[in-house]
Parts: sequence; C-alpha cells; structure tokens
Amino acid sequence: MKAAKARAVLALLSLCVLSIAGSASSSIPTDPFVGIAPEDLKYYKSSDVIKCKDGSKKFARAQLNDDFCDCPDGTDEPGTSACPGAKFYCRNAGHSPVLLYSSRVNDGICDCCDGSDEYDGKVNCSNTCWEAGKVARDKLRNKIATYKEGVTLRKQEVEQAKLALVKDEEELTKLKNEEKVLKGLVQQLKERKEQIEKAEEQERLQKEKEEKEKKEAEEKAEKEKIKTEEDAKQEKKEGEIKAEIEDIGVANTDHEKIGLVEDTPSDQNVEDDFEPLKEIENGDNAVSRGQQANGVNQHVVEDKDESVSQVSQKESEIAVEDVSRADQMTASGKDLSEDTEALSKEELGRLVASRWTGEKTEKEDKDGIIEDSEGEDHEEMSKDAHVEDEDEYASDADDDDQRYEEDDIEDDVDEDVPVEDHYDTSSSHESQSDDELDLSDTTTQTSPSWLEKIQQTVRSILQAVNLFQTPVDKSEAARVRKEYDESSAKLSKIESRISKLSDKLKYDFGKDKEFYSFYGRCFESKQNKYVYKVCPYKQATQEEGHSTTRLGQWDKFDDAYRVMIFSNGDRCWNGPDRSLKVRLRCGLKNEVAEVDEPSRCEYVALLSTPALCSEDKLKELEHKLELMENEQPRPHDEL
Amino acid sequence: MRTPLSLFLLLSLLLFLSSCAVVLSWKKEEFRNCNQTPFCKRARSRKPGSSPFLAADVSISDGDLVAKLVPREPDPDQEDQEPPARPLALTLSAYRDGVMRVKIDEDYPSQESPHKRRFQVPDVIVSEFESKKLWLQRVSTERVGGDEGVSSIVYLSDEYEGVVRHDPFEVYVRERSSGDRVLSMNSHGLFDFEQLREKKEGEDWEERFRSHTDTRPYGPQSISFDVSFYGADFVYGIPERAASLALKPTRGPGIDHSEPYRLFNLDVFEYLHDSPFGLYGAIPFMISHGKARGTSGFFWLNAAEMQIDVLGEGWDADSGISLPSSQKRVDTFWMSEAGIVDAFFFIGPGPKDVVKQYVGVTGNPAMPQLFATAYHQCRWNYRDEEDVENVDAKFDEHDIPYDVLWLDIEHTDGKRYFTWDKVLFPHPEEMQRKLAAKGRHMVTIVDPHIKRDESYHIHKEASKNGYYVKDASGNDFEGWCWPGSSSYIDMLSPEIRSWWADKFSFENYVGSTPSLYIWNDMNEPSVFNGPELTMPRDALHYGGVEHRELHNANGYYFHMATSDGLLKRGNGNDRPFVLSRAFFPGSQRYGAVWTGDNTAEWDQLRVSVPMILTLGLTGLSFSGADVGGFFGNPEPELLVRWYQLGAYYPFFRAHAHQDTKRREPWLFGERNTELMRDAIRTRYMLLPFFYTLFREANVTGVPVVRPLWMEFPFDEATFDKDEAFMVGNSLLVQGIFTERAKHVSVYLPGKESWYDLRTGTTYLGSKTHKLEAPEDHVPAFQRAGTIIPRRDRFRRSTTQTVNDPYTLVIALNSSQTAEGELYIDDGKSFEFKHGAYIHRRFVFKGGKLTSLNMAPATSGNLPFKSECIIERIIILGHAGGPKNALIEPGNLKAQVEFGPLLLQGRSSSGVLTIRKPGIRIADDWTIKVL
Repeated sequence: MKAAKARAVLALLSLCVLSIAGSASSSIPTDPFVGIAPEDLKYYKSSDVIKCKDGSKKFARAQLNDDFCDCPDGTDEPGTSACPGAKFYCRNAGHSPVLLYSSRVNDGICDCCDGSDEYDGKVNCSNTCWEAGKVARDKLRNKIATYKEGVTLRKQEVEQAKLALVKDEEELTKLKNEEKVLKGLVQQLKERKEQIEKAEEQERLQKEKEEKEKKEAEEKAEKEKIKTEEDAKQEKKEGEIKAEIEDIGVANTDHEKIGLVEDTPSDQNVEDDFEPLKEIENGDNAVSRGQQANGVNQHVVEDKDESVSQVSQKESEIAVEDVSRADQMTASGKDLSEDTEALSKEELGRLVASRWTGEKTEKEDKDGIIEDSEGEDHEEMSKDAHVEDEDEYASDADDDDQRYEEDDIEDDVDEDVPVEDHYDTSSSHESQSDDELDLSDTTTQTSPSWLEKIQQTVRSILQAVNLFQTPVDKSEAARVRKEYDESSAKLSKIESRISKLSDKLKYDFGKDKEFYSFYGRCFESKQNKYVYKVCPYKQATQEEGHSTTRLGQWDKFDDAYRVMIFSNGDRCWNGPDRSLKVRLRCGLKNEVAEVDEPSRCEYVALLSTPALCSEDKLKELEHKLELMENEQPRPHDEL
Repeated sequence: MRTPLSLFLLLSLLLFLSSCAVVLSWKKEEFRNCNQTPFCKRARSRKPGSSPFLAADVSISDGDLVAKLVPREPDPDQEDQEPPARPLALTLSAYRDGVMRVKIDEDYPSQESPHKRRFQVPDVIVSEFESKKLWLQRVSTERVGGDEGVSSIVYLSDEYEGVVRHDPFEVYVRERSSGDRVLSMNSHGLFDFEQLREKKEGEDWEERFRSHTDTRPYGPQSISFDVSFYGADFVYGIPERAASLALKPTRGPGIDHSEPYRLFNLDVFEYLHDSPFGLYGAIPFMISHGKARGTSGFFWLNAAEMQIDVLGEGWDADSGISLPSSQKRVDTFWMSEAGIVDAFFFIGPGPKDVVKQYVGVTGNPAMPQLFATAYHQCRWNYRDEEDVENVDAKFDEHDIPYDVLWLDIEHTDGKRYFTWDKVLFPHPEEMQRKLAAKGRHMVTIVDPHIKRDESYHIHKEASKNGYYVKDASGNDFEGWCWPGSSSYIDMLSPEIRSWWADKFSFENYVGSTPSLYIWNDMNEPSVFNGPELTMPRDALHYGGVEHRELHNANGYYFHMATSDGLLKRGNGNDRPFVLSRAFFPGSQRYGAVWTGDNTAEWDQLRVSVPMILTLGLTGLSFSGADVGGFFGNPEPELLVRWYQLGAYYPFFRAHAHQDTKRREPWLFGERNTELMRDAIRTRYMLLPFFYTLFREANVTGVPVVRPLWMEFPFDEATFDKDEAFMVGNSLLVQGIFTERAKHVSVYLPGKESWYDLRTGTTYLGSKTHKLEAPEDHVPAFQRAGTIIPRRDRFRRSTTQTVNDPYTLVIALNSSQTAEGELYIDDGKSFEFKHGAYIHRRFVFKGGKLTSLNMAPATSGNLPFKSECIIERIIILGHAGGPKNALIEPGNLKAQVEFGPLLLQGRSSSGVLTIRKPGIRIADDWTIKVL
C-alpha cells in the first residue's frame, strides 16, 4: 500500500514538474491579444473561429497566441515567435508604434521602447518611449519645418522652370523658322558663288593656258621627280611610326611589370615613348589643317587633336597594360621567368601582391610615384581650358563646315571612347551659358528686321551681280563671297543652337520639371582630399589635386526621381566601370554630402535639394506628427 | 591618316585579346612541376624492383619489432652506383584499434652526434596515442608463398598480423585467417632513402628555380616508396587540391604528361577547378575503399614537400613483380624531399573505422562553439565602423540571421596585426559590444607575416628576442607580404608559440573583447617574392631545422599558437575559434579551415563538394568554401545556388574579394533576398542536428559531411560519387551546379526510401531520380529510419535561440522504425568535458517514441540544465492514421493533426504532426501514437 501510494505521489509530482516545466519554457502570453494592432483587434475578436489572413486555414480562438504556429502566414501568432511570418505590434505609447518580426519576440533583446516584446520574464525592459518619442518628435518637427520652406522653394523652381521651358520652346520654334529661311538664302548664295567661281576659273585658265603650255614640259618632269621623293619620304615616315609602335610594345612588356610595382623612372619612359607618336599624329593633322587654310579653325582643330591624341594615348596606355598582361599570360614560362628574374625581390613582392590588390598599385600610383598620371592630369586640365576656348573660338568663328566636322568628331568620340572630357562641350554648362550669351547677342538681332535685312541684301546682291560679265567684277564677287560666308556662319550658329536646345529638351526634368534648374549646373562637395563634382545631365567626377576620375556619365533618374544615376565612369583596375548613385532628399539648398564608396568603384552620394520637398510628403509627415502627439498624454504607461 | 588608324586598330585588338586572356590567370609557370623538382624527377624515373635494401637483424626490442635495412651488395656490372653509406633503422609498432606504425630513419651511430639529424615532426601525434601501444612480445618467422627468404610476423590484433619480408624488403598487413593482404609498402621495390652526407669537393648541390636559389647545404635527402591497397576500387584523401573525390590515376597506360598529386602548401592565385596541384594545406593520409575488402588507410607523417602518384592498372606490367593476383589492388607511389619514414597503416575495415584510427593518432576535431557552426558574413573588407553597423542593421532589416561579422586585413593599422586603423575603426570595443548586444561575434584577421617596422611592438619584441625564422645565412628572413617587407615568427618553437599566444590576451590585443575571435590567413606561409610564393626551403627554423623539412606544418604551428592564445585568453574555458587556410595533420584540434581563394564560377561551386568531403575524410571536419566565390562577381543565380549548397557546408561563410561588387544577400532584388534568407534559415533550422554532428566528430572523428560511401559502404554506385553528400547519417544533399538547370539527377543509395526535406515526398533508394530542379532549394532528402532534431524559430543569431523549443522529424523506414540523436551543451565553454551536456537518443519503434539518456551516468559532476521543450513532432511514412498521442510519464494526451513539414517556404500537403507535446528535451519520456 505504502509503495503504491509513494508511486502515486511520485507520479503526481512528476506531473506537476512536467506541467510547470511546460509553462515555464513555453512563452504563452497572459494577454491573448498581445502583439495585435488596435485596428486588427476586431478581426480577432469577431468570432470564435478565426481565418488565417491568407485564407489557407481556420483556427480556434484558443489557438490565438498559443505559441504554436497554425497559419502559414502567422495570423494566429501575432504575439509570439512561433510563426516565422508573423509581425508583432508594439504600441509604444509616447512614441510611434512599431511592427516587429516575430523573431524579436522574447529573444532577450528589448526592441520596443515600451518593452512589450519581452514578456517571458527573462529580461526586464524599461519603457523609454517618452524620451525617445520626444527626440523623435523634435526631429520630425525640424524636418517638417524644412519641408515647409522647401515646398515654397520648390514651387518657385517649378514656376521658373515652366516659364523657362516655354521660352526654350518658343526660341526653338523661332530658330527653326529662321533656319529654314536662312538655309534658302545660303543655298542661293552658294549657287551664285559657285557660278562666279566657275567663271573666274575659266577666265584664269584661259589666261594661263598659253604661259603654261610653254613651260609644261619642263615643269612636268620637275614635278614628277619631287613626287617620287615625297612618296619615299612618306613611306619612310610610316615605317618609323610602325617601328615606334613596336618599340613601345616591347618597351612596355618590361615597363608594365615595373609599372605595376610602381617604378617611377620607367613610367616616365612610357610618356617619352609616346611623345613621338603624339607628334606624328599632330603632324598628320597639320597636313589636313593646312588644307583647310583657316587660321581660327586651325586653332580649334589643334586643340581637338590634342585631346584626341590624349585619348589615344590614354587608350594605348591601357592597352599597353593589358598587352603585357596578356603577354604574361600567354608567354611561355621561360620568357616569364626571365621577366621576373629581372626584378628585385621587393619589386617581385609588390608585383605579386598587386594581383590580389589592383587597388594598391593604383593607389600608390596616385601617391605620386607615377608622375605621368599627374602629367596627364595637367593635360586634362589644360585641355579643359582648351575646351572652353574652343567654344569661344567656335562661336566667333565663321566657318560652319568646320563646326560640323567638329561635331562629327565629337559624336565619334562619344560612341567609341566615352572617357574623355572634350566632347562635353555640347552640354557643359559653362559652354552652354557662353553659348547662350553669344546667341542672345544674335537673338537680339534676330528680329524680323534682321532677317529681312539679310534677305534684302541677298536679293540685291543676286540682282546686282552680273553673271555673264567677263571679266568678272572683282568687288561683286567679293561681296557675294562675304555675304555667303556670313550667312552660312549664322546658319551654322542657329543650327548648333537648335541642336543644343533640342538635346536639352529631350532630358527628363521630373514630374513637375522641378529638376530643370539642375541642367548645366554642378554641385561640389569636398571630402578629405577629394572634391566630388556632381553635374546632373552631364557627369560626376572625383578630383584630387589635378587628377580627375570620372565616376560616371549621366544616365537617368531612378526610384521615382529620388535617385540620380551616373554610370559608365572610368574603369577600375580589375573591377567594374565606376558608377555613382546620388540619393536625393529634401533640403533648402542644393548640396552634395556624404559621398561614399560602399562597394569598390560604386559610389553613392546624398544630395539635398528643394526639388524633393514635395507637398504630399509634407502632409504625410504632418500626419505622422499628429499621430505621435495624440499618443503623448500617457507618458508613463509602464507604471 | 592610315598610321594612326592602324595603330588604333592594333591597340584595340590587343585590348580585346587581353580581356579574353584574363580568364586563364593561374600562374602555372611560377610553380614547379615534377620535372622541375629534382627529387620528384629522380624518384619517378626509378624502376620497380630497384630498391637496394633488405631487412636484417630482425628482433624485438622495447615492445617493438626492430630491424636494420642494409644495402644489397652493389652490382659490379654497374658503374657509378653509389651505395648508401650506412644501414637504416626500422621500427615497427602495433597499436590498439588496428594501427601499425613503421618508422625508418638513418641509423645514427649513438656516440657521435652528427651535426644534422633528419627532422621528425613534433607535436602532431597526440599523447593518448602512445598509451594505445601494444607491447610486442615475440616475432615469428615464416616463408610466405614461394619465397626463398623468410618473413618476420608480429601480432597486430586477433584478426591481423604485420609482416616484414626480409629480401626483397617489404612490409605489409595481412588478415590472419585468410592470409590476404590489406596494405603493403615497397611491394614494388621502389623504396629509396637518400642519406645525409658530407659535401665533397666540386659537388654542386644548389638548386635554381626562376630567380631563386636553394643552397641545399645537406644535399639530396629524399625518400620514396610504393604503397599498395588491397581489395580497393578507389583511393581518396591527400588534400588539398581542387579535384575529384576519388583520385584519378596519375601514371600508367594511357596517361600522358600527368603530374603527381602534390602536397606542398602554397598560396595559389586563382586556382583551377580540376588539377592535381597542391593548394594551401597538406595531409599525407590516403584512404582506400572497395567492395571486396572495405576500407584501409595509410598516413605518412612528414612535413616536407611530397608528391604522390596513383598508379593506373597495368603500370607495372613490365616490372616482372607479381603480387597476389586474386586481390584487386590500387598501387601508389610516395615521394618526399626530406624527413623520415613515419608511416601509419590503418586496418579499417569500415570507412568510419579508418577515420577513427587516423584521429586516434592525430587528435579529434575540436568542439566548436555554437555560434561558429552558424552563418558567417565576411568580405575583404568591411571598411569602417559605420559599414559594419550598416551591414549588421541590414541583416536585421531583412530578418536574415547571422552570427559572425568578419574583418579582413584592411581593419589594421597598415597591416600590423593586433592593431586597428585609427580612422576607420576608432572604437573597436564599442563596435564589438554593439554586435554582442545582439548576440553576434566578430572575427579579425591575424596573419603570420610581421611588418618590419621598429615602432611596431610585435616586430620589436620578435626581432629583439630572435623569434623570426632565419635565412640560409642566419639573418632574420625578410620577405614581402601585405605590409611590405616582413619577417615571419618561427612557430616551431614552443617558447615562441607561448609568447605569441600571450598576444591575444585582452590587455595585449588592445581593442579586443570576449566576443572577438581570430582568422589566420597566409600561413603556408605566403611570401610574395619567395620561390613559388613561399619561404625559401633553406630558411632556418628553431633547432636548425630547414624550412624544407617542416614547410607543410608551418601553418599548423601558427594555427596551434593562435588557438592556444584564445584558450589562454579565456582561462581555458572558452572554446577557441580560429579559421586557418594552411593545414596539416592535427589541424582539426585547433579550429576550422576553408578552401581558400576560389572563384565565382559554377565549376568552383561544383568542386567545393569533393574538396570538403576530402577534408572531412582526413580529419578536418570543420571546413567550407567561400560562399559566392572569392574572386569575381557571381551572377545572382550562382550566388543563390551557392547559398543553398553552402548552408550544408560544415563551415558556412560568405566571402568576397575587395574588387568585387557588394553581394550581401539583400542586394539582388526581393526574390533573391528571399531565396538566400531561406537558405540561411535552413541552416539555422538544422543547427541542433549539425551541432549534434559536430559533437560526434569531436568524439569519433567521423566528419559532419560525408561521402555517400561512408554511409553506404556496400553500394558500389556511390564509390565515385561526389556531387552529393551526406550530412551525418540522415541527410543527403545534392548540389545544383549548372546555370538555369531544368532537371537534376540524384542517386539515392541504400535499400530504404528517402523523404524530400521540403515536401516529405517519398523516393525509393538504390535508384537515380531525375527531378525538376527547384528554384528555391537544392535537393535534400532525409533517409528513412532517421530522426532529425530542428529548431523552427528564427532569431537574429544563435544566442537568442537557447530557450526556443525543438521539433523532431521522424522518417520511418519500411519496418516503421527510426532513430536519431540530439546533443546540447552551453555552446561555449569546456564544461561539456565534465559532463555538462544533454545527449538524448530518440528511438521510434512499435508506434512509440522513446527519449533515452546517452550521457554516461558517471560522465561528470557538472549538470547542464535546459528548460527547452519539444513543440512539434513530425512523423513521415507512418502506416496508420493516429488521432492522439499518449505521453508517459503523466498519462498526458497530445493532439495529432496534419501540419506543414516546414513553416517557411513552400507548404507541403500536410504531414502527421503531434501538436505541442510539451515535453522537456532533458527528460526521459515516451510518446505512443494512438
């Protein structure tokens, strides 16, 4: 009997232990509705059998928050950690309510400021909502104040943008009309000019015919002699260039390795190696330049060529680096061992280290060991200056053919090598403003009277010049030529302006054109040793001293105009092309801040601008504040 | 204009070519092949039967069989043959559990002390091994087969004998009853032993490779011999390389220009996915397996460069040597540059027996902390404290669990380890505390190269105390590594190791906190301007040991010293976590390893499986490959697949090179985030199962992930399978290694069925199934007859899971039974060694689930308490339709219903679920389904 009784007691005891244990370690909340948002309470209280929100199942009221997951979406466990998909609502009186992942419930970490997510007694969370809420509200108030002001600024911007756009479009229409008329005139003048020239040519030929016939035989012989000589020269020159290239190729197989290990002198060599090449290129261009025989344009061409040659130089440097890399990879072991054997131990160490860390060499390059990169930057700078010059010259210049050719070059460069600076002339804000000034000059003249005047002049010229007069009246001919030159220059200017304007109008200025004013502007931010320059619709750069790295070309807006994307920037060693994402936020001034490179060569920046201060967002914030303030009167809930 | 144009074309062509060539960037020519390695070339050209030794003076001494190996009289017809100067000394010992050890060294005259003795690797064999030695009493002699000469025979176990054949010299293990051979050495007479000698005038011992010269002051000193495995179909082991699990023959008919398998620890830039070339670690341990005999193993404790040929069938056709032809055999040829013969013959006969025998010699794998078995997030580099904070916050924002955030070399002040970059990491302690507040840990890197900078305290002490490895002329060796000019701590010396260990104390390692653990990289050692990117072989270590003699153990001693440092730091009660790249036999005692700098390519994902399986077979259970691939940018699909497979690696860490794009799991769109979260959560869900397996490895050496043949040793179809693997004995995982795979073929071994881990769908065993390739996971199956413990709740990290309830998944076999285990301890301290753990065995039989205590009653005095309960029991393959469950003790009832197999992801059709049994994991109980 005794034994049986003892056993019964034991059983009872263990039953107790078991049930205590069960309740102790299972975290069933005392409040069955814990973790449910007030607006949801009705859903849970309306009946004894509740549906999972995804419609998959039903569960009894007793299964609500019983610490066992019944609904795949977690409907039945808003207050426990049993369902991975569930969300826990903390009211956070005095602050803002929060929805937590169920993984936070009773995990020993206080996540809600009211501590309601930790109710299993393992940790004690104090209620910090009042203090935290006050801070948050103050912050929100400040933000609202900014928004209020920003909204006004934005409205002004939008108004201005609308007016400016109308103006742009009007101008464009007008210019297009003028272009049409002027084109006709130029065509007429051109025909007349050609006729005159034809006549003159005939006259001249007639005149010279006799004299020429006399000397013809001698001269012919002479000329042919010279020609052979010249051909030989030309061939030789080409041969030299070829040899030069080969030399460079050879020199650089060596040089590149050393280049990787940052050897100053040999890097200097590269520059030297390329010097003759550049000269040859320029020389070549000089020939074509001579053919055009226009001093002003010569200047432009020269600049252009210089930048082109810089492009190719840079390219060849890149190529050379890759060439020797390819060499390294394809060459036989013997060749290679010879190569690296030439290196000092330290150079070898650096070379090998650089395989893992392209950045290292690059960085150390920047630290000034490779002089040529600085040299190059100098060139880039001066080239920038040239670009501006060029524009000035171009607008003063009276040769539209030249302009067109230039544009062609630009386009080519744009497509093939989107690395260099110079093609930006078309969209650079400085040149843009120059252009505008320049054109506004023209535009003030571009009244009907101006155009009529030209029309009249042309008409009178065309009537006055007697075509069939022999010999041709010299002054008449000069007049025609002059008038032709002037008119076609004007036409080219108008055409260029039209293309620029229509390019500009193709851009996306935002829903309300709020980004119109960004066109042609740059925003700068200085961070440590770098200056970051963000030029919307154009490009973004990182400048360090004289060195400029292109972070990207303008690509587009993203994320509903909250992000600007610049892509296809300068290539990273062993990495992607650089790119920049500019996140926009509401602010009273256009200001770039916090440029960062979270992933190698992928930059992000923050730009404050009134353009982002939308009224909708302001209303949202005001509503949020309202809600927070309504929660306020019960500060010390925990007591 | 023609010239610039053609120049442009030329340059763009070259640009194009170079971008194509970037793919092939393994710098093959920087490394020696066998032909460029004189000892290897010499050994490989040797003919079978050329071994000049025969055994003499065989006797028993101090419980060992001892003998002299004496050179045969030189053939007078052959000139120029230099006979070995001295005889060699052989010692054969027997150990319990089926291990025979054979040592062969020079027979140093005891009175003279030669200025140089050959190196014997210290601190690898565990002290317990010696206690297993059998005291041999006697040796018998016998004429075996048709031999003219005699063989000496000793007892190994009741079933096995060790045999030394005198002339020609040969050693082997045979079965006592049948006389069948198990393992033999020098059966093909390839044994050679180049002895140390004095340099004669005019002799040039220098060796040159590329710009490097090896002075080789002791001349040639290599050793080579052949080893045969009987009854074997395949051989496995000898990591580390990126190659198949079953080792392909490297010599023999039809094999041209193949290199031997190389064991020489190297830092290989962009290694290939299929090559016999040796990588970061070396374990000269080979396992054979075959249907006829089972499993045996051979381990050569030697730290010099080793080259091993697996000889294809018919390689010895012309040798005139006949071995017992009834037994199928795999022959191998072992060559080492220096050291002695210290060889261990493991008799098996099962796969797990061999692994146990091996760890009996080299030590059991360390028991990791729980956090270390979870998910690790790494990148070269998390740049600064803000970056760390953001990445940490993003995991929470996306509700993805992770346990460890890693900092690579850039966190230091100019690659001076134990320091912090003051600008980027001004408040390291606060940073670690913030992570620790969420139960997370941090790992920083500490490499063995020390910046030669007088203001750096480590360098100052090391150079002052003479703790650096010396170059051939006795000065501190200087090499180039991350910090620039560097020297290398000589970890061979116990004193120096102890000094190094002290550097990890909280006082010495300023900015470290108790939640900080360590990563040892570059410990091969990597020397950027050294021969083959490592240390010159003639560099000198403690005791005048040449680097060539210990090279492969260099990283091991470093790993050991670091691990000891963490042990000291935690007063011996905090389990160290140290990840190492280089390894050697015994490394399993000190922490985890990973497969080094892999590449973001499908082939590299594929080869990660045989690499990890091989490491597991050779004792290194705690291993993994960089998820996502270190070099390059994985396509999102590859990254997702890598997470899905990597979730089953024993060591689960994502890592990336600094030039790669960020690839944290939330950066590839919502769907991919979901898929990666799902993969990581799968790991967390299975952590109780994994942790139990880590404990099994800790006790037995049997690895966490296993080749199929280890679990199905009689299923021939599994012997060369290395696409799929077993996690423990319960789970089969099949990777998906191709882009946009529509289908995947899975061979499911054994006679019993398998249950899909996601859906519970049943598949028959001994069959290849062609399945649709699912997007949301890689195929995984639970083996019928097993029980897997899970935790179905998700937390930020493992730290918050300690009180969470368990789920048991019972997969019944055809006789409606199943078994499984669960091991729990505090996840952190060494108290488990004193019994502070819970170890349960679950048995389902006759409709009843029983929980049994597996901890021995006398295991210790420190109890481990857990209030955790079981919230759900899932039964797969139950024949009846039970409605209720009855729990004893207490006579309580629990409801049986249909529920999902998994709470996350795809919902299954509904599986039999015991709802809220409410029983404690720590208690004895039974549950009967009614």
